[in-house]
Amino acid sequence: MSNSVIDIKNLRTYFHTEEGVVRAVDDISFRVDEGRTLGIVGESGSGKSVTSLSIMRLLAGSARIESGSIALLGKDLVGLPEPQMRSIRGSDVSMIFQEPMTSLNPVFTVGDQIIEALRLHQKLSKSEARRRTIELLDEVGIPEPAVRVDSYPHQMSGGQKQRVMIAMALSCNPKLLIADEPTTALDVTIQAQILEILRRLRDTRGMSILFITHDLGVIAEIADDVLVMFRGKMVEYGSVLEIFENPQHPYTKGLLSCRPRLNTPYRLLPTVADFMQTVQEPLPDGSMTTRVIETKLSEDDIRRMTSHGRGRLLHSKSELATLGHPWTDGLLAPDTQSVEEGTKPLLAVDDLRVHFPIKRGVFSRVVGHVKAVDGVSFNVYRGQTLGLVGESGCGKTTAGRAILRLVDPTSGSIRFDGIDVASLQGAALKKMRSRLQIIFQDPYGSLNPRMTIESTLIEPMAVHGLGTNRADRRDRAVELLREVDLPPDHLRRYPHEFSGGQRQRICIARALAVEPEFIVCDESVSALDVSVQAQVLNLLKALQEKRGLTYIFISHDLSVVKFMADMMAVMNAGKIVEFGPSEAIYADPQQEYTRRLIAATPDDDVQDIRRRVAARQAATAD
Amino acid sequence: MIALAYVVMMGLVALLSPAIAGTKPLVCSYQGKLYFPALGYFNRSWENAVFRKDRFRNVYPAKLREKDPASWAIWPLVYQDPYRRVRDGEWPDQPANPTRDEGRPNRFNLFGTNRAGVDVFAQMVHGARTALLVGFVSMGIATTIGVIVGATAGFFGGWIDTALSRLIEVVMCVPSLVLILALIAVLERPTIWHLMAVLGVTGWTGIARLTRAEFLRLKELDYVVAARAIGVGRTAIMFRHLMRNAMAPVLVPVTFGIASAILTESALSFLGFGAPPPNPSWGALLNDGRGNQQMWWLIVFPGVAIFLTVLAYNLIGEGLQESTDPRLAGAE
Repeated sequence: MSNSVIDIKNLRTYFHTEEGVVRAVDDISFRVDEGRTLGIVGESGSGKSVTSLSIMRLLAGSARIESGSIALLGKDLVGLPEPQMRSIRGSDVSMIFQEPMTSLNPVFTVGDQIIEALRLHQKLSKSEARRRTIELLDEVGIPEPAVRVDSYPHQMSGGQKQRVMIAMALSCNPKLLIADEPTTALDVTIQAQILEILRRLRDTRGMSILFITHDLGVIAEIADDVLVMFRGKMVEYGSVLEIFENPQHPYTKGLLSCRPRLNTPYRLLPTVADFMQTVQEPLPDGSMTTRVIETKLSEDDIRRMTSHGRGRLLHSKSELATLGHPWTDGLLAPDTQSVEEGTKPLLAVDDLRVHFPIKRGVFSRVVGHVKAVDGVSFNVYRGQTLGLVGESGCGKTTAGRAILRLVDPTSGSIRFDGIDVASLQGAALKKMRSRLQIIFQDPYGSLNPRMTIESTLIEPMAVHGLGTNRADRRDRAVELLREVDLPPDHLRRYPHEFSGGQRQRICIARALAVEPEFIVCDESVSALDVSVQAQVLNLLKALQEKRGLTYIFISHDLSVVKFMADMMAVMNAGKIVEFGPSEAIYADPQQEYTRRLIAATPDDDVQDIRRRVAARQAATAD
Repeated sequence: MIALAYVVMMGLVALLSPAIAGTKPLVCSYQGKLYFPALGYFNRSWENAVFRKDRFRNVYPAKLREKDPASWAIWPLVYQDPYRRVRDGEWPDQPANPTRDEGRPNRFNLFGTNRAGVDVFAQMVHGARTALLVGFVSMGIATTIGVIVGATAGFFGGWIDTALSRLIEVVMCVPSLVLILALIAVLERPTIWHLMAVLGVTGWTGIARLTRAEFLRLKELDYVVAARAIGVGRTAIMFRHLMRNAMAPVLVPVTFGIASAILTESALSFLGFGAPPPNPSWGALLNDGRGNQQMWWLIVFPGVAIFLTVLAYNLIGEGLQESTDPRLAGAE
């Protein structure tokens, strides 16, 4: 029996708000042993972050630990006076956060910030602390640490900043590292590197890690044990293999299957709601609790989800051949089709370039250009979904916006249904806007907070003269809400009354209000919880089928793009590096960059988990 | 909350000032017709000409009885006039206002009288009108200019933004107090409206800058881009999508601006450059008190009124700031 680093028993943390008591953490027990990693997984609002903040005793004013014990190295932290708690934070247990951009103070060099942390807990001279800092930076894989120690945060990339945060957290040799969504804001390739560093540190230092994330793929990559949280409650707790191989709780089953895997057989994603229903029940003290009723996914359901709708719709065979992914029957699903030779594409983008000038000085002299999109060409056929995938800054969003003329292209041609979009002006452009629509990433920023849902949906109709009068438009708005599975009584409400997933549905309804033929989905599901993401993806697929829509689906998440897209374009540094059928690109990537991207995508295949667990056991047995 | 209640109360006092203190009836029936002579406090010409023709000489109680025995009238709460001394016998059982330094607060002159025997309470009540008028009108002008300039600069960007931003900087360099003093020296008959105009046309820079910044921030938000993608016109985007969301934070400097305009007006009146003499003003009362320091009531009451009013507007501004700034709201 190895020694536990942290042992939590029956922890309850409640928020005391004006509306009553909210049980953010409700009876959680777990332990993390030396050198082990516990992954806590759950959706936003499940209480996973509150758990970590309870351990650090960094809770906001209205939250209180009601009962339970938190034993760190045998010492109970609940009720420990603040000064003693302060000396524990950063030395025995330290924490890294999601947002590396805001966790570092911009006016100090990264070295100064680590040196400060070092000298706060250890009696070190300045030069010793500096030497130690360089060692730490080296340990977390910062190149040329002796030089970078004097860099300011803005001179580093997001991944490097997160490494600096890890170095800072490591500065006093903590026994426990709490990582709260440390890779969520990072690109997949960077995420893979950070996970690798955390794994290495765990092994070389024998450190324990409490890893909090909403992403089961990341959990599968790093955790030894997994705790699944749902609305403040612990619904499942076990080894990573148990959880992935044989999940017990319906919520875990739902979470596992609603993730679009790179090799998913589904065409519609199962959602958590397919596995369970929840009932809100009041408790004697007036707070609410959630009871879960399991529902079984029937054989019919599974058949429906695997065989729903049409198969992939690819470019014509001659085009596929020129793209370097020729039509091969064996590789593709039997009902995959290709468009007939000679069909005109709905959207033809040729050598599109968008350059942003960099201006300096008083007279705004142009000193150079950022080549956001640098010579991109592709065709999209009616009814197809084209996936644009790439890391942040690769130009995929700019390309999408240029097609809609939300940014002006520098050169190149965009032809939609034979019309040159790039040169449209005035009324013709306005008319084109009703045919092309966009759905954004951030469900909170994409609705005007001071407009009711009714005015939000009616505005586009009024702009384009759809519907005869207000009453008629209202009826159409009700119809649109029904189409995105929202009840019509939502019309009178304001955006802040809705959850992220509901808002995204409203955004979809707004885009549909002008009866478009073509929609750019710009990271439209990236900000949503996985179970909500599955619902929205299903909705987008259903709408495509019903209305014959054509999509460009932009995402950094290869697995989501592969689930949605018929054809996939991989972008890097403003250029398309690989273009072909999604399946073919995944099965047989031609480019080094694509291979890296696929390898970095977190993978929760049970075989791979078993292999990793075996490797871990072999390593610890030595 | 208290600040808000105080400001509402001040507004009511200003609006109902002739009903609170005055010597003209609110409503009177004279020779078979209804008149509203008290409106004359707002504007000379609103007082019906018949009373001047019949030589009322602003002494209504006795004249009404004398000229038309059948007349009746509803009187203000306090029979005192902000412009002139009330004499003996004007109002039953009310003695003449004391003059010189004898007019300490008493039953008939709640806040005392000044050297000429004019009631301080009546001047204060009517002065509230001046103070609030200066605050609202000057900030009204400033807000209008500021929002238009700021919104244009923020919305269109480019060279329009550059030009308007330089204009804002130029106007910021104009010292408004000195400009007012110069204007008063030049004008033959300066009125309170000139003062408001100057405060208005020099005081909009802060509002313009804030509106510009809000517009710059908001126009990058997805819902504005979404509106463009839908094909919504420029004007509709500017007003429906940007203006409404930009207004809440802009209200904050407006309330602070009202407070500072009231303060400026009082300061000018105190220096003797404010509203010309017959106009009641808190600052002018203070100026009166400066020369007669033993008459403490000339300093304490208007001083407290200025202090409380400015404080109340600042508190409201701060409250607005807290409720519109999500970071401060989250700190609760």
